[in-house]
Amino acid sequence: MDEKTLDEIISRYDSPSGRLLGILEEIQTSEGYIPRDVLEMLSVKLDVRLSQLYSLVTFYSFFSLKPIGEHVVTVCMGTACHVRGAAEILTTLEKLLGIERGTTQDGKYSVTTKDNKFTLEIARCFGACSIAPVIDIDGDLYGYTTPERLPEILEDYGWREP
Amino acid sequence: MTYGEVGRRDQPEKPITILINGKKCMAREGEIVLSVALREGVAIPHLCYEASLEPYGGCRLCMVEATDHGRTSMTTACSLRATEGLEVCTDTPEVVKYRNVLFELYLAEAPKSETIKEMAARYGVTKTSFLKKIDIEDALGGKCVLCGLCVRVCTEIMGAGAINFINRGPYTVVNTPYFEANTDCLGCGACANVCPTHAIQIEDRNGERVLHSWGGIKIPLKRCSSCGKYYTPEALAVSVQNTLMPPIRSDLAGFCPACRAKKCADMEIRAHMKTEGEGNHV
Ligand code: SF4
Ligand code: FES
Ligand code: FES
Repeated sequence: MDEKTLDEIISRYDSPSGRLLGILEEIQTSEGYIPRDVLEMLSVKLDVRLSQLYSLVTFYSFFSLKPIGEHVVTVCMGTACHVRGAAEILTTLEKLLGIERGTTQDGKYSVTTKDNKFTLEIARCFGACSIAPVIDIDGDLYGYTTPERLPEILEDYGWREP
Repeated sequence: MTYGEVGRRDQPEKPITILINGKKCMAREGEIVLSVALREGVAIPHLCYEASLEPYGGCRLCMVEATDHGRTSMTTACSLRATEGLEVCTDTPEVVKYRNVLFELYLAEAPKSETIKEMAARYGVTKTSFLKKIDIEDALGGKCVLCGLCVRVCTEIMGAGAINFINRGPYTVVNTPYFEANTDCLGCGACANVCPTHAIQIEDRNGERVLHSWGGIKIPLKRCSSCGKYYTPEALAVSVQNTLMPPIRSDLAGFCPACRAKKCADMEIRAHMKTEGEGNHV
């Protein structure tokens, strides 16, 4: 994101109170993550300490410090889904997408494929327990998932068997 | 007037009496009950209270039972203000139970902290049933209880804002952004001074101050232009000089406090002798 775009975003928020989250949200949405240089630029422009911005960005799971993939696959690991085999769904997805399990320093599970196509994340209960186990891709819920059905679902998002 | 009055200067000071564990204690109206208790020698464990900062109520250890106008509630003594006739009890069974759980939690949160172990042991808690937080890479050596004092001092008092909370829930830590050296740091060391568990590692060596816990920030130290001793971090000296109104006189600004005092006294004496000398001629 260049300086001009950032200035434009900032100019849409005239009241100093509560604008931080709005601005950060726009950066996250347009870039797919919060790039470090943009955060540093924002800190200077708004005269808000970088430590405070970093604190906000790492607090809300909505923000990501690393680039995320084109499609975000979130596996529900809530109680109901867990009981109905979410762990197996997760390992199958890891295998299909060819990624290794990893948690970031903030304890968040979020891994992106090398080609930047998919990011795999986990969540706790989408509130759709009745159709457990559930996965979410870019905001669309898939219920009653089974390891066998996963390739077919992923294909809709451009995944091909390697 | 103590530090505790910062931010409360607008309040009229009315002497009142409150009861702490049945003991009559003199207090000023609106005074923080924890500060009254400590003055009166009543021990209340606390981790996040600092008289010069705004009440915070984060660590929850100073929990007491308070009865005001016949209404009883559990509350934190560090945010409770004294009012006439207030009754406070620091060791009801409920308070004890609450406190013991907290001590167990702190023993798990900061398993390497001797301060916490000693404090908990004073209240009879020596074991924890919670899972201990073990992280060998922890910049604060397993001693941080997340009381937030360092963050508040750095931001509220020093105005530097170099450190803050990072992440949330069980992954919360305190550090600099990206866990790297941060140019907002003045090197004042207030964080290490205020930390109740001595978690923050700072070292002065070879003319610089190294903040090991905060991404290894290095701040050069300034030499006294008179005696040549290192006496303050450069960045802090600049910030103080910019904040003071009026600033320190330029011919004294580069001196350490001891040399500055000497020089002032010297100038006073000379000025005095000069006037006396002039007097003799008359
Ligand atoms: S480092 Fe010390 S002062 Fe800072 S939050 Fe942790 S325990 Fe509190
Ligand atoms: S536990 Fe998965 S949707 Fe509720
Ligand atoms: S000292 Fe009162 S809550 Fe920490």
